[in-house]
Amino acid sequence: MAITYDDVKIGDTIPTYTSAPITRTHLVRYAGASGDFNPLHHDESFIKMIGMDNVIAHGILIMGIAGEAITSWIDQRNLRSFNARFLSMTEPADLNDMEHTTGRATITISGKIVKKYEENGEKRIKCDIVAKDALGSRKLAGFFIAALP
Amino acid sequence: MADRSKLGMEFPAYTMTVEKSKIAEFAVAVGLKDDKAQIDPIYYDEEAAKRAGYEGIPVPPTFMTSFFFWTGEGLMGIVKALGIDLSKLLHSEEEYEFLGNIYAGDVITRKMKVAEMFERGKRDRLGRFVDVTILETEIINQRGELVAKVRSTMMER
Repeated sequence: MAITYDDVKIGDTIPTYTSAPITRTHLVRYAGASGDFNPLHHDESFIKMIGMDNVIAHGILIMGIAGEAITSWIDQRNLRSFNARFLSMTEPADLNDMEHTTGRATITISGKIVKKYEENGEKRIKCDIVAKDALGSRKLAGFFIAALP
Repeated sequence: MADRSKLGMEFPAYTMTVEKSKIAEFAVAVGLKDDKAQIDPIYYDEEAAKRAGYEGIPVPPTFMTSFFFWTGEGLMGIVKALGIDLSKLLHSEEEYEFLGNIYAGDVITRKMKVAEMFERGKRDRLGRFVDVTILETEIINQRGELVAKVRSTMMER
């Protein structure tokens, strides 16, 4: 059943969405799918050259995971805008040390409805969203606006 | 540091077809899946999309990013054109405004310009100013309809 405007109220949370642990393979797949081939996301020699410790996930991949959280809750045609500010870097899990690195690479998306209003003849909601890793570090904060039936 | 003379610059408009298989590939990628059998069939099966009420196979919300990179040598082309140092580049904010729907087979024209360039007033931890560049992109379909607007904020550390 589609979520309707009357089903939700300010302060309600959307279902929490937790990703699989991000691996380097996921980053390579996303690079190919999106065309974002910044070597920051896959090339360890570039990482060393710029003095960082590890490749990091594309900020916009984390936003894509947030997009998954949204579209698993509402029909994506209802989406009117989607904003994300990238707050911290996400290092992928190391396959040879999953025990200690899964937490930093596992993303949970949560969201809370902050506004209900009418605009352009539509009933709209604004929902703030946050992405955090399993260690509690905030990766992204933003919002989406959706029109609900 | 980004080349300030590029403020207001428009990148060459670019037209591309939204390929069906590219949508599935993207949906698998943002779902952190291994195979399209693990994603929502609306992203690869037209019948499933129609049953769900879509006119065709839709694109995931952040698919817009691929319009950004599929031309002009992708990211490297953009960075070079703006005089940004790739080793210092960070994507700091992204915003989409959805004005219509995009489906597999649509022919999209991407128009992108340098909307803002400024030095953020606050210094970073190392006492340096941070250079900010904001790109605004319009996504227009084959019927001339503006279907999405994208605002991308990039920083140089």
